[in-house]
Amino acid sequence: MIKWGMVIDLKKCIGCYTCMVTCKQEHYLPPGIFWTRLLVSETGEYPQVTNHVYPVLCNHCKEAVCVKVCPSEATLQREDGIVHIDYDKCVGCRYCMIACPYQQRTFYSDGKKGYFPGQGLTELEVIGKELYPLQPGTVVKCNFCKEKIDEGIRKGLKPGIDREATPACVNNCPTKARYFGDLNDMKSKVSVLIRQRKGFQLHPEFGTEPSVYYVD
Amino acid sequence: MRSYEWMVEYTPQTEWIERRGILIWLAEVSNGIGGGLYLVSLYFNSLFGMFLSWLIVILLKGGFHFAYLGKPMRFWRLALNPRTSWLSRGFIFLGLFIVLGAIQLALSYWLPGTALEFLFKVIAGLMVFLVVINSGFVMNYVNAIPLWNSAILPLLFLSCGVLDGFAFILTIGLFGGSVDMVAAEAGSRSLLLISGFIIIIYLWGATYMGPTGKRSVVEIIKGQIAPILWIGVILCGIIIPISISIFSYFVGEASVPLLITAVICEMVGAFSLKYTILRNALYTPLIPTRS
Repeated sequence: MIKWGMVIDLKKCIGCYTCMVTCKQEHYLPPGIFWTRLLVSETGEYPQVTNHVYPVLCNHCKEAVCVKVCPSEATLQREDGIVHIDYDKCVGCRYCMIACPYQQRTFYSDGKKGYFPGQGLTELEVIGKELYPLQPGTVVKCNFCKEKIDEGIRKGLKPGIDREATPACVNNCPTKARYFGDLNDMKSKVSVLIRQRKGFQLHPEFGTEPSVYYVD
Repeated sequence: MRSYEWMVEYTPQTEWIERRGILIWLAEVSNGIGGGLYLVSLYFNSLFGMFLSWLIVILLKGGFHFAYLGKPMRFWRLALNPRTSWLSRGFIFLGLFIVLGAIQLALSYWLPGTALEFLFKVIAGLMVFLVVINSGFVMNYVNAIPLWNSAILPLLFLSCGVLDGFAFILTIGLFGGSVDMVAAEAGSRSLLLISGFIIIIYLWGATYMGPTGKRSVVEIIKGQIAPILWIGVILCGIIIPISISIFSYFVGEASVPLLITAVICEMVGAFSLKYTILRNALYTPLIPTRS
């Protein structure tokens, strides 16, 4: 059974925010909504200071707490591990947002809000609403570009290897810091990286078993 | 909180307390008051109290929750996942309480003292008990927020809800309702002490829920909105009502203005307690930080 996952190489990540921008482009995300983010912090004291840059996104947890708490069965987990939201079922109670320890969900409240306030929606924003219709009043989050994965597999392509079947943030990372593949395939690049470079998850103590790993 | 501090520092939940989230706060308070009053009214056999609390639960608790939903017309979908979701279970308990409570009220009005009325009183009482305690479980299930992830929380909500119920039943008694005021005052007095004790145990326990839990408690006690705890919860919610209660215990019967003051203070305490718990719910930073 396939289980999609991602590995982010923190040594390669330069904190350029391309993943954030490319995700917004890919899904035509409205203002204020990000499905992937970059967290930056510092530890230590001068002159021994360490800068930490962590790209974060929905972890598509194996034990996804958002799936469990969703009262309307709008948050679903596929057999390949991808956690996604059925916007037609979401009631907008936001219990999933509260329960997610990684805070990777956003409430999409205003469907009329555009990037240029007072000037209406641009042509691109209008097209985006048709191509990627989000519903105001529902919760949204990263879906590992599942439409690309599904379409790619239908065409006989391999997600993580063939660009057409690979999430946009992985494709467009200029330093190739992101890897995507099958965590259950011991020979996949992601599995090898996790094994060889001691991949770790963010806060495994929450017990959600994230599918996004980090190597440094 | 500045955007670059989000999940880098301790980050408070905002969805259930800021902007429209205020509705959740109001719903939680209504839940305690309505449910607690129903339980207390059952004990004192106050039909007016039961009816009032039934209305509070439907119109205020239900109404605020309904208004909060992003897609309110899909509210019925809330019942679809009782297997794993406490919110779903709560919605079902609420629905059952509304129906069974209505039957019980009708029986208490038209067929008082019958076995059927007693049976429905027990069932409706059980349902409202589940409604009150469920909101504690909804929050207690969230292990991402250590302040909420405490087994004491449902108990705290229950005791405070029943305490609010006593405050309301005293008010009903003051305005001519058939309520045993001495028993109501005694119950209120006991619950004030019990609730105060549970609040202390709850906060003390939260300090053992890791650094995030400890930080939440520090924010509650010393943070920017600490006056809400000290003035709202401790002074208004506990010290003033208990002082009036002890005074009335020794004097024999407190004056009406004093009792009204105690009831108003208890209400302030109810609002403050829920606000404090919702407002200081912190998430653990995702990445290494100085804090």
